[in-house]
Amino acid sequence: MPYGTGQPGQNTMQSEAFRKVLAETFVVVPAYNEGRVIRDVITGLSSAFPNIVVVNDGSSDETAEILRGLPAVVVKHQINLGQGASLQTGITFALERGANYIVTFDADGQHRAEDALSALRLLAEGQCDVVCGSRFLGTTSNVPRMRKIILKTVVGLANLTAGTKMTDAHNGLRALSRRAASCLDLHQSGMAHASEIMSQLRNHKMNIREVPVQINYTQYSLAKGQSSLNSINILVDLVIGRFMK
Amino acid sequence: MTFKYFLVAALIGFVFYLLLLPRVGYLRKGAIFSVVIMMLVFAIQPDWSSSVAKAVGISRGADLLFYVSHLTLFFIAFVYFVKFKEMELRFTKLVRQLALENARREAEH
Repeated sequence: MPYGTGQPGQNTMQSEAFRKVLAETFVVVPAYNEGRVIRDVITGLSSAFPNIVVVNDGSSDETAEILRGLPAVVVKHQINLGQGASLQTGITFALERGANYIVTFDADGQHRAEDALSALRLLAEGQCDVVCGSRFLGTTSNVPRMRKIILKTVVGLANLTAGTKMTDAHNGLRALSRRAASCLDLHQSGMAHASEIMSQLRNHKMNIREVPVQINYTQYSLAKGQSSLNSINILVDLVIGRFMK
Repeated sequence: MTFKYFLVAALIGFVFYLLLLPRVGYLRKGAIFSVVIMMLVFAIQPDWSSSVAKAVGISRGADLLFYVSHLTLFFIAFVYFVKFKEMELRFTKLVRQLALENARREAEH
């Protein structure tokens, strides 16, 4: 079944209305040296979403060449800045292009386009401003045990600092309304951006909901993902961020 | 004795350099000035450091100077790290601006 037509029998939006939502949606994909998987990721997304923005974050591999032939607008950072900076660039670009809905989606192939659609459907119902993907809602059997422990700790800390009650804080799959995306002014260029996003959304009193998503843990995505020690860097970045003007 | 004169001369030079720095706030200038003056006094009168050390519960003056210099260096490193992060943010905004302008130009063509 093609994406965006709605599942029969489910309480989702009518397909015609949802097609309009899709036309107003921009998917932002921050990519850094993702030459091995970027083609599959963008091809998979393009069957569902007409507007895709890839932020090539100063990749030094063949990412730029591969992106040339794909159905996506490419915004290129001349040097590598980090995922947080790339997301902000992509979101700013999407807002300039008139996006009413913005979906953020990782480039390493760990997310599924159908989960992005589920998040968007929930958002488009208008009951909330932001929908975040959570790998800990529903079945969590595919999350490696060590990663689960680290992520749960990070979620606990993020909830403590941002004052939220999320089950997953560092999931790159999110759907934001225009109103929510406009509130974001990310200063954390690196991986601490996930906590910063939640903190800024919370400060602007955005209504946040979660939707269960599946993460495709491959050797590639695990290698590209964050190491356990990086959680210390995230913590330091968040503390330093408090002292910045 | 020779090193003592060298140290005093270097510290006095640093005080003048500090006073001439244009973009340092009065609070920061005052804090650095106090530490340098303290070092100057202890360089001229080393015995005083032991008296101050005893008054704050540290047995030796050398230990007091060791702790104070470590704390000062840590503070300076922290301040410069924050400054570095602020500069990184400005740099990020510049790169973003360039990326967005290029993307806009490409979209127009």
